[in-house]
Amino acid sequence: MYFQKKRVIAMLLAGGQGSRLKVLTEKTAKPAVPFGGKYRIIDFPLSNCVNSGIDTVGILTQYQPLELNEYIGNGQPWGLNKTHSCAQVLPPYERHDKKSGWYKGTANAIYQNIDFVDRFDPDYVVILSGDHIYKMDYAAMVEYHEKHQASCTIAVRNVPLEEASRFGILNTNPDNSIYEFEEKPPVPKSTNASMGIYCFNWKVLRDALVADEEDPNSSNDFGKNIIPKLLNEGHKMMAYPFDGYWKDVGTIDSLWEANMELLGKEPAFDLRGDERAKIYARNSALPSSYIDEKAKIVNAFVAEGSEVYGTVKHSIISIGCTVGEGSLVEDSVVMPGVEIEAGAIVRNAILGENSKVCKNAVVGGAFGPDEKKSISVTSKGAVVEANTVLRPGDML
Amino acid sequence: MNVMGIIFTNDASLGELTNKRTMASLPFGGRYRQVDFALSNLSCAGVRHVGIISRHNYQSLMNHIGDGEEWGLELEEGGLEFLTPYAMSSTHTYRGKLESLNYAMDFLEYGAEDEMVVMIDSAVLSNIDLNKVLNAHVASGKDVTVVAKSGICNGEKVIDLALKVENGELVDMVVDYAAGEDYLASMDIFVLNKKWLMQQVKEMIARDKFHMDRDLVLGGWQRGKVSVNIYEHDGVAMFNESVEEYFYNSLSLIDKDIRHDMFHGNHPVYTKVRDRVPTYYGEACDIEDCLVADGCMLDGKVEDSILFRQVTVSKGAEVENCVIMNDSVVGEGCELKYVILDKNVTVTPGAKLIGTKKNPIIVKRGDTV
Repeated sequence: MYFQKKRVIAMLLAGGQGSRLKVLTEKTAKPAVPFGGKYRIIDFPLSNCVNSGIDTVGILTQYQPLELNEYIGNGQPWGLNKTHSCAQVLPPYERHDKKSGWYKGTANAIYQNIDFVDRFDPDYVVILSGDHIYKMDYAAMVEYHEKHQASCTIAVRNVPLEEASRFGILNTNPDNSIYEFEEKPPVPKSTNASMGIYCFNWKVLRDALVADEEDPNSSNDFGKNIIPKLLNEGHKMMAYPFDGYWKDVGTIDSLWEANMELLGKEPAFDLRGDERAKIYARNSALPSSYIDEKAKIVNAFVAEGSEVYGTVKHSIISIGCTVGEGSLVEDSVVMPGVEIEAGAIVRNAILGENSKVCKNAVVGGAFGPDEKKSISVTSKGAVVEANTVLRPGDML
Repeated sequence: MNVMGIIFTNDASLGELTNKRTMASLPFGGRYRQVDFALSNLSCAGVRHVGIISRHNYQSLMNHIGDGEEWGLELEEGGLEFLTPYAMSSTHTYRGKLESLNYAMDFLEYGAEDEMVVMIDSAVLSNIDLNKVLNAHVASGKDVTVVAKSGICNGEKVIDLALKVENGELVDMVVDYAAGEDYLASMDIFVLNKKWLMQQVKEMIARDKFHMDRDLVLGGWQRGKVSVNIYEHDGVAMFNESVEEYFYNSLSLIDKDIRHDMFHGNHPVYTKVRDRVPTYYGEACDIEDCLVADGCMLDGKVEDSILFRQVTVSKGAEVENCVIMNDSVVGEGCELKYVILDKNVTVTPGAKLIGTKKNPIIVKRGDTV
């Protein structure tokens, strides 16, 4: 079989459970969690790839892969199903030498798929994860990497000093070359946080992965093992500063926040913007949304295939939802296929896919401007029975 | 059952709306083109070989349909074929359906001999289970099955083909005539045996007959040569044969029962994917009784209207009983009643356009008012 040589390919780490998303990832891998009304988290890195001219993407899956695999399919929604492009799902597999099985860590996941990468004989491999919401031109990062003749380039963003100890911090020289990497330092020396987006020379990475696999003490992780090892070996490593919107949606609170940041006249994260940086998603054949005469919608997203009879304020209503008469949805994220019956009240909540809030039920509550919000969550398919209450912060 | 489909794009005129497009590519229902209904009807009935017969103005149609991927018709075997005059054995355009079929003999010959053919037009829209029609056709043992709808004939509207049934028997048939209420209107969907159809086409053309309704169905029936079965469609059928009907049918989608029948009745309706973001409802918007597609920015007041993808309605604008197509912008403080804005129209701030139910104002594609 003929494989076209590629200058750059991407490997997308999509195997994590995302346990901090709790009930939302009980049956769904984190990258397949719905976002922004009609998207799933993985649409962002996948669309970024396509918009950056990267047409070959390996997607490493492990946890609850059914829905994710189904969603990716042959990569058609992102235009990755052509003769010389692919979105290849790479699950763990069994090998004759037993150097296989479940992916032990992020680096091991790539190690087990060296054969896949080798087919394309790439100069550069971009490593991505399926946990973040952002738009980024990876091509510009690869240019930067090439210009500086680095072995590895890591995208970084400036975080407030008081938050820096939550991240992997890269300490750099004035020319942005990295001299030290510290994972969650108690006393951070800088505020350059790693975004978990790496560009490697494939030859360098390949050797490092093989060596790392030999090391029985390694946890086979990019942040913990590969990056420090390459630094110690004296490889040139660069920090690539990125100042656009970027959000880790690994927790209930941050997922809720990121959804809310899509709203407003001038949203923190504008999904419209540039046609060339469009986010693609797998589409379901749903008609336009119907907005009833009794409906009231203010500062909200309503995606296609929904029917709104009630009041929606500062919320995201995803595809195929029903918001019943006399109901109120405020400050909430309503995922695809949710049914909210008449008279129900939903505030500060995330309603999981196809869940149902029955007549006059109450989910969540209101919070004062200075109060810390506590988000209520329903899991996929959950039913909040009529006239019952799901209290603030509770999960069903 | 082996079945092939033939879609006629219909070159009837709805004035400005079909100036640069066929009826098949006319936008309808917020996110569709009229042909999406025919394509989805065929595709969801398992038909995997579809020819689209178009005389002219097929550029926008080809752009919309592409290789038929959205309808599951991007196939190695069968799939979708555009039968434009240049792709057929003719360089002049044809006078009627039979003549166009005569030029499409190569297409018809492809595939099994015992195939059935579903012919479907682009001006009458429905969400119909064609498998039921096919089974009824086979069970009837007749030559042609005509899908028809009651309640359309009213003694005023000129009907292409109207049929009168008494006690289950076809007793009268009229062509291009304002038939009375006791007639059924043909929905321009026919089921026939392929081999039989090919023979009929050859014989008709040999006698310089080219009109499907008049020459083959009516003429054949009158001469006792063609037996006709009628399948009555009990769902919604939208005859978009004039601007007034197109406008009325568009707005009738706001009614829940009609909408559900057309969009969910038997199967989904597929269309080209555009990847627009969800619609944003601003602080000041007031939307009542509307169908709204993706990608709109809404800040004004909109009532009883259909908004296509990526429409902007600015603050202070009032829109009532309108059909607003893709990418159009309604400026601040505008007042629009009974208006059809074609794609990409800009209505500058403060403009006032008031049409009537019977004569909606149509603003041409790309115009600025």
